[in-house]
Amino acid sequence: MAHDLSKPYEYPFDVASEEEIRFRDAGAVDGRPAGVPSSYDEGGSTRWTPEAISEVHALAQLGRYQVRGYNTFNKQLPTFDDLTFVPATMTRLPLEGYRESCDTTTVLGGGRGLVERPLELKIPIYIASMSFGALSASAKASLGYGASKVGTMTCTGEGGMLEEEREASQRLLYQMSPARYGVDLDHLRRADALELVVGQGAKPGTGGLLLGMKVSPRVSKMRTLPEGVDQRSTIRHPDFLGADDLAVKIEELRIATNYQVPIFIKMGATRPRFDVAVAAKAGADVVVVDGAEGGTGASPELLLNHTGIPTMSAIRAAREALDECGMTGKVSLVAAGGIRSGVDAAKCLALGADAVMIGNAAMVALGCNSPRYLEDYAALGTSPGACHHCHTGRCPVGIATQDEELESRMNPRAGAERIARYLTAMTMEITALAKACGKSSVHNLETEDLRALSFQASAFTGVKMAGIDRAFDW
Amino acid sequence: MSEVAERMDEIVIEVGKRHIREVNRDIMDACATGRPIRVVNTLSRHNLGVGLPDNVDITFEGSVGYYCGGLNTGANISIERNCGWAVGEGMAKGHITVGGYAGMSCGAAMIGGTIHVKGDAGPRVGVAMKGGNIVVEGKIGYQSGFMAHSGRIIALGGAGESCADALWEGEVWVAGEVDSLGVDVDVIEPTAEEVAEVDAILEPLGLVDSSRNWRKMVSGQRLWYFESRDASAWLMI
Repeated sequence: MAHDLSKPYEYPFDVASEEEIRFRDAGAVDGRPAGVPSSYDEGGSTRWTPEAISEVHALAQLGRYQVRGYNTFNKQLPTFDDLTFVPATMTRLPLEGYRESCDTTTVLGGGRGLVERPLELKIPIYIASMSFGALSASAKASLGYGASKVGTMTCTGEGGMLEEEREASQRLLYQMSPARYGVDLDHLRRADALELVVGQGAKPGTGGLLLGMKVSPRVSKMRTLPEGVDQRSTIRHPDFLGADDLAVKIEELRIATNYQVPIFIKMGATRPRFDVAVAAKAGADVVVVDGAEGGTGASPELLLNHTGIPTMSAIRAAREALDECGMTGKVSLVAAGGIRSGVDAAKCLALGADAVMIGNAAMVALGCNSPRYLEDYAALGTSPGACHHCHTGRCPVGIATQDEELESRMNPRAGAERIARYLTAMTMEITALAKACGKSSVHNLETEDLRALSFQASAFTGVKMAGIDRAFDW
Repeated sequence: MSEVAERMDEIVIEVGKRHIREVNRDIMDACATGRPIRVVNTLSRHNLGVGLPDNVDITFEGSVGYYCGGLNTGANISIERNCGWAVGEGMAKGHITVGGYAGMSCGAAMIGGTIHVKGDAGPRVGVAMKGGNIVVEGKIGYQSGFMAHSGRIIALGGAGESCADALWEGEVWVAGEVDSLGVDVDVIEPTAEEVAEVDAILEPLGLVDSSRNWRKMVSGQRLWYFESRDASAWLMI
């Protein structure tokens, strides 16, 4: 029963003094008062975090969006660690991991039977499209020699064919971006495959970016650009718009190369279920899907962090699209974006990719973010392990630069061998997992070999949840 | 009629409904002979005469589809009537004459050589071109010269909307009316020396006319540098 509110309640003792109420009990320490909400000190707005505030300050100061290199900093994206392998146990028989062989040969672009020289790679990994311009000439050559040693391929990127890379790479994919820098019929015919780029994972829907610090005399000549301008490229191709035109364009490239080499289409992962089907129908031999985790030499930061879908989800959607339109086996699927190891690569293969490509990972293997020249990292306001300043051209370790002095800091022979060893180690990781799962070819890895450790990863991929063995599905 | 025939000193190649790969193989074989080539019954087919070599004279009777003369490396190509999209795209060297109208993206990303269109041309003439000359006797369509890196687009009959949009070092010359300018364009009065250079391009085509009132469009260079502190430069795009 309620008290009579007309009559104030009175304690049967004296009311404590204000001094006593303020947690000034015996033992209280000066300067650490209780009774002050932690938010006074720490804040706690979930929207106006210190990062969000510094972002607004940066925009207010610059009057434009921020540009940087490297890859996404969005913390909401899943990682490949959200998936685990479930090797053979009672229902399946493993292969002897230390003794039995597992085939890693990867053929790309032969499925339609249209080209004379499908790509036969010894491993299911190749080096992603990073341009001369974004990377130094020595870095490009190192990637080429390292890849050649292990029987795989590199890609020119959008800056045209660099002679050093053509010499180094036994197999070279020639990229034709919408800007068509340095396009040359002779280069097309000297390539082992051609790639039409309609987008990239780091900034789908937006063209390439190379700031003036990297538009050196040689880069400017290869790209027919004024020296030192901030090159912000087109995203729409100059001579085709939709899928019907693309089909004609692909035929043109086939005629130009006399039906010798496969034609790739590379896209950023946005609506892969439809985009991949369209690319396959338009006649591509290989479709490359680059997830939101994909790297870049320079991009508006907002696009890096807030566009595209995770690689793992894109692979499943792409594979289902190819299955649905009867193109599995005819069109090869390459996945990229955020692959750090053979383990990540094996997960991509199990999800449905025929091969993967690595960009940032290859740069890191060359020495990106290695702890040398600390004062130069400090000059960029960063430190080894955290550097994302590819866009400035002031790469402390001489990889993402056009500055001769910085470029000389990378030992090209050591770089080539590091790439070869890294690719070898990645391949061993893939075969170790494949053999544990009982597969005599890495291409026999399948979604059933995986389980998801998070609802999110299961929902994104349709991979069964660990334990309950059902996909977190709608 | 057989698919490849000889008429006087010409080699005559029939297109019709044959596979385009076969037609192009016949064209390449004919190129190797060094004799003039006439391609007939073209039916506006796409991808005719792609990647042709130097020292070749080839005529397409009637109209052609997309990418005719694409990636040309020196051939002298004559298209009797109209052409579809991207005639001479990526061409490095040579000469293309279009007797009628040219579709979208005429000379897209071309590097060198000359394209001469006797009628009008569609939108995006010379988009992303890296060099060479495009001469259009009629009007050029909207957004012509978009991000042209180098080279000249010369329109004797006028230009559509958004002319010379976002140029690098390419130039757009227009003798007639310009419907509207693209972003970051400076329209300048050409010097007598510059007009003489353009006349030198027009002279072999028999198109010199000293009474023309030229407008030469070049980049304002305000979009060349991202580090601009001038916010209005960004708001214009």
